[in-house]
Amino acid sequence: MPKSKEQHNSKEILNLAVSMGEELLKNGGEIYRVQETVGRVMEAYGVRDYHVFVVTNGIFATVHEQGEDAGSMVRDVPLGDINLEKIAGINQLSREICQGSCSLKEAYRRLEQCKNASPMRDAFLVLACGVESAGFCFLLGGTPFDSIFSFLLGLLLQAFLVAGTKRNVSKFLLNILGSAWVTAGSLMLYGIGLDVQSDRIIIGGIIVLMPGVALVTGIRDSFNGDYLSGGIRLMDALLTGICIAVGVGAAVKVFQLLGGGALPI
Amino acid sequence: MIVQLFVAVISTLAFAVLFHVPKQEYFYCAVNGGLGWMVYKLSLGCGFGVPVSSLWATLTLTLVARMLSALRKMPSTVFLLAGIFTLVPGSGVYYTAYYLIMNELSKSTAKGIETFKIAGAIVLGIIFGLALPQSWFNRLGRLTDKKGTSEKV
Repeated sequence: MPKSKEQHNSKEILNLAVSMGEELLKNGGEIYRVQETVGRVMEAYGVRDYHVFVVTNGIFATVHEQGEDAGSMVRDVPLGDINLEKIAGINQLSREICQGSCSLKEAYRRLEQCKNASPMRDAFLVLACGVESAGFCFLLGGTPFDSIFSFLLGLLLQAFLVAGTKRNVSKFLLNILGSAWVTAGSLMLYGIGLDVQSDRIIIGGIIVLMPGVALVTGIRDSFNGDYLSGGIRLMDALLTGICIAVGVGAAVKVFQLLGGGALPI
Repeated sequence: MIVQLFVAVISTLAFAVLFHVPKQEYFYCAVNGGLGWMVYKLSLGCGFGVPVSSLWATLTLTLVARMLSALRKMPSTVFLLAGIFTLVPGSGVYYTAYYLIMNELSKSTAKGIETFKIAGAIVLGIIFGLALPQSWFNRLGRLTDKKGTSEKV
């Protein structure tokens, strides 16, 4: 809806739209949301002739002006951490752009603001992970006593994950080491003779590694007909699950070899 | 049951923090997670198996997430992601790996297949939830927004 007659440069509009799409995709948005957002932003600024193609780890877009190529853009978007706050922010921005209440310059400013939103402090994330581990340990039949240890293991796990992510350790390695670490910690507690249900503690601890997000997003993508992107996510979910199993298995095996014998289930 | 519900709400809240859900939506996220867990437990209590109970619970979660998304003007993912974690088969993955290492292959296979069944049930639950037309939810959205702009799911 180009209400004002001011003529924007197609390239600038394309850049804005694709940058917004990139931000959505990077933070875990679904494919159709990215595609629709890019399309709506372009149309809101009066670009009619465009093509957008989005997959899980890339965006391709071109615009035409009077039938002539006016610009194209390719962005490589690596799979990143989930940040729903940024997705919600971009969503709000795109809604305002569609209502025509946001100039191009203002939109750029808002996008930067959204990108640089101060992230949650690591200490909070670590605490949240501990709480979540303890909660799940309890929900799955653990006693409050088990939950206390689950809480501690969860804290250490998230601290490890945060530190690992900052050093760009591969996700596979993080999953294997993380689940192995939780298992080892829990088995050690059992080994020194504490009266704990080690399996509940382990399950509570590894929940945070589980590929729930990849599963949900993968389904949503496939459901919207983006089979390629959905496949990428579901493959990610499957491999993550296998990695967790490998980590748990390795730790149990080592414990067994060290003379721990069979574990109680 | 009350304690379980409370713990489920707290756990979902923790996940909302981990996924950087906008702060003003923490409450709705947590309530949705608690609701999912309650449906799951009630369904188990009625004698349904774990996969079917997961299906009911995810269906509820997805529908409530879509309603909240219309009411709160937020992408429904915000409410769905944290809530779904109470149902993800973490114990299935653990037991499958454990029995495999212990060389109890038949138990391991049984657990592995059960894990896939639960994952499949979650998939179906979400798909059924998404299959309802968006226009039904948009009507809800107009309660909070007179303009009634069409919403994204």
